[in-house]
Amino acid sequence: MERRKFLSMTLGALALAVVPASVKAEDYRKSKPLVWKAKTVEDAIKALYGSNTLIHKGVKLKAAGESFDSGKKAIASSGGAIPVEFSTKIPARTVSVYQDTNPEAAVCVYTVTKYSINDYAIKIKMAKPGSITVVVEGLDGKLYAAKQTLDVALGGCEG
Amino acid sequence: MKVKAKLKNGVIKVKAMAKHPMSTYDMMEKKTGNRDDANFILHITGTINGEVVFDMSTSQFLSKNPIFKFKIKADGFKKGDKLLLNWIDRKGKTGKGKGKIK
Repeated sequence: MERRKFLSMTLGALALAVVPASVKAEDYRKSKPLVWKAKTVEDAIKALYGSNTLIHKGVKLKAAGESFDSGKKAIASSGGAIPVEFSTKIPARTVSVYQDTNPEAAVCVYTVTKYSINDYAIKIKMAKPGSITVVVEGLDGKLYAAKQTLDVALGGCEG
Repeated sequence: MKVKAKLKNGVIKVKAMAKHPMSTYDMMEKKTGNRDDANFILHITGTINGEVVFDMSTSQFLSKNPIFKFKIKADGFKKGDKLLLNWIDRKGKTGKGKGKIK
């Protein structure tokens, strides 16, 4: 009897020790430095997730007021501050944003907390016309994405 | 840093702006000849009552004085609670902003 009790207690303690690690904010600048040096979107996604197989569904993206599924190219008047909005209903672990015209590809990575509603808006800089990709890492480990191409009338990285 | 937070139907909508030049490597190379002068926000975290509700790692491609919006579930949070946002940039400087949930 004594031994059985002891065993179940150790198992319980082990389970407790494992759980808290699951929801924790992570600084991807420190933990994944290669993501921020990658020159292409594919390399950056691979550096962050270890894979760059994307499923193009479940993610909504709007750049410079034009939705990704409208079939039209978005036009940004100034590349210095392009409004980008994106959202997803997929239970996610992280959400990340990339573009393909600047020297490096990664723009930002969000860690989804238990309070997060994945609906974000940011403003980004782009030097030339190109595309913006949003990747959502689902809790199922798969990568969901949306992409929007846009024209930039005036480049934003020249300063 | 300016922070605005509004609670409606169990959702807190947040709009925030950080005052920061967000200079890129290329910009600074043109300006000062030194790529290492580039400075931009690396990481932003948001907390309410000590709970982490928002976490974002960023690069130099956010706009100058970046504005960002996000939504959080109001589970357990109420009007009058304060949302704290903290950022740290490439040179190690930190900034913070506080907004009362309205």
